[in-house]
Amino acid sequence: MSQSRSHIWFVSPAVLLMFVILILPVFVAGTFSFTDYNLGSQDFRWVGWKNYESLGKFSSYKKMFTASLTYVVIVVPVSVLLGLGSAMLISSLRFGGEFYKTVFFLPVMATLLAMAYAWEFTLDPVIGVVNKFLDDGCSVGWFYKLFTGSWLGFNPTESWYGGLCNDRMPNWLGNKKYALGSISFIGIWQAFGFNMVLYLAGLTSVPRDLYAAAEMDGANSTWEKFKLVTWPMLGPTHVFVVTITSIRSFQVFDTVEALTRGGPSKSTYMMVYAMFEKGVKQNLIGMGSAITIVFLGFVLLLTLTQVYFINRKVHYS
Amino acid sequence: MKQRTNLVSEAGKHIVLVVGTLVVILPFYLMLSFSFKSPSEIQSISGGFFGAQEMMTDRKCLKTESEGSMRSKEECTMLPIVYNYKAAFEEAPLLRYLLNGVIVTLSIFAIQVIIALPCAYALAKLNFWGRDVVFGLVIFCLLIPVHAIALPLYLMLAKFGLTNTFASLVIPWTISVFGIFLMRQFFKTVPDDLINAARMDGMSEFSIVWKVMLPTAIPALLAFAIFSVVAHWNDYYWPRIVITGDQDLMTPPLGLRMFKSDMDGNEYGPMMAAATVIVAPLVVAFLLAQRRFIEGITLTGMK
Repeated sequence: MSQSRSHIWFVSPAVLLMFVILILPVFVAGTFSFTDYNLGSQDFRWVGWKNYESLGKFSSYKKMFTASLTYVVIVVPVSVLLGLGSAMLISSLRFGGEFYKTVFFLPVMATLLAMAYAWEFTLDPVIGVVNKFLDDGCSVGWFYKLFTGSWLGFNPTESWYGGLCNDRMPNWLGNKKYALGSISFIGIWQAFGFNMVLYLAGLTSVPRDLYAAAEMDGANSTWEKFKLVTWPMLGPTHVFVVTITSIRSFQVFDTVEALTRGGPSKSTYMMVYAMFEKGVKQNLIGMGSAITIVFLGFVLLLTLTQVYFINRKVHYS
Repeated sequence: MKQRTNLVSEAGKHIVLVVGTLVVILPFYLMLSFSFKSPSEIQSISGGFFGAQEMMTDRKCLKTESEGSMRSKEECTMLPIVYNYKAAFEEAPLLRYLLNGVIVTLSIFAIQVIIALPCAYALAKLNFWGRDVVFGLVIFCLLIPVHAIALPLYLMLAKFGLTNTFASLVIPWTISVFGIFLMRQFFKTVPDDLINAARMDGMSEFSIVWKVMLPTAIPALLAFAIFSVVAHWNDYYWPRIVITGDQDLMTPPLGLRMFKSDMDGNEYGPMMAAATVIVAPLVVAFLLAQRRFIEGITLTGMK
């Protein structure tokens, strides 16, 4: 054969690196998750399933799972729907679409850590413009009526906003009640532009004549056409967008580490941050490894779900 | 009548999108605005976007000496915008951080290409025993997010004493299975005749990869470059793990964090000036070549 053996030189560096950098660490984490190893000590003891049992036993780990899942359950649907909504609005515009597309994609590009600090100052209770805006709104009649619901006949002081006006505006990142919501908000802010671009690509592949066909079948309103044509034709895009957004939200770290460090009282103690805190900062390698393995399990589950849906051919082409 | 409702619905869509735009822009607006304004304007939330730009005196500067004598008041008086950016570059080694960012992102990309391109070529165009196994391995590795295995990787690097080195910033990213997959798909579309002609000319397989395949792959490679550079310029998680304390090795996001933890309560301006400098290169590049950037970053959409 003329190609001789050159393929060995082409393939082996990549294969070697795949084993050493991607596959071996999974086994390393798996092994250490059964030990009480820490960096610096010479030997370690096998502790069996103890680390995994701790994950189920201690309240800080329960809070970790709650925080991670809540974050994913908030960020995924909202950023997917916002992405789809903005893609549909933008693609139906007569002019200006490119402008909005550019703006909505900016957060995807920008260094998240820097933007997290910018959000921190925006939401700051003292120098933040958000609270100043809300504070000022208390004395603006129509704004106050709208947000307290008093225009619908509710008692303004009993509503959330009315209460804040009488007391003071929340400390968005420092209050246990709001911290996870605020971190999720930043997550949505960052993610939806990415989803929008994927949906815009998906929308261009929906054949125009299907809409005409749906109209002949009596689907006249925009909503019916959406239900009958757009939504099902976007099948593969949905699967992909939901999977990638879930995996990415599970991996949230920058905003947590920079803004809340898992607090207040572990309300934003997300998995990757916990992995970092236990494994790297506190040098509890066994515990960190156990979290790593559970985390990998979650990611694998999400990916396999995606593969399952794609094989079921959610697309109609 | 119909035209009128069309206009109304178009206007309605613009209103919704403009509200969205305001929310999306808000932190960018604030970041820029803080980087222009004086500390007192920031504290009192006044001065609009650009601030009044009244001359201000830097109290810290008055306490420092130059050439044996204390600095004069004139020397330490400047516009807030000048003060903020000057402080950003002087109080932290911001230039060093930026340079590190460039070195790390470019070395990662270069090594990724050197490893991935020959492998992708072999998988796409050469017949050899075990090819399907190798390709299967690539697909399998696509399932493993590097962020998820950061802890064991950190352990392995620590065992070899490699933490707090440039190498530790680069090593985990040297293998991009995604890059292999992407380039393989691309090489599949290159006609065999081109390769056969090169072989007839007596080119070795090695030079075919770099002199024939590489030039044809420029568009795909450019998209991959954007994908890779954006991801690693912005990455904070991995540098945070392997670099502890050594400022000479810090990448821009890590440097920004150092800046924040060293800053005293009043330095919002310099802090946001530093953030602006770090965010700016990619945002400007994005605005100049939007289509390519969107293509590059949504590449993962092709998986």
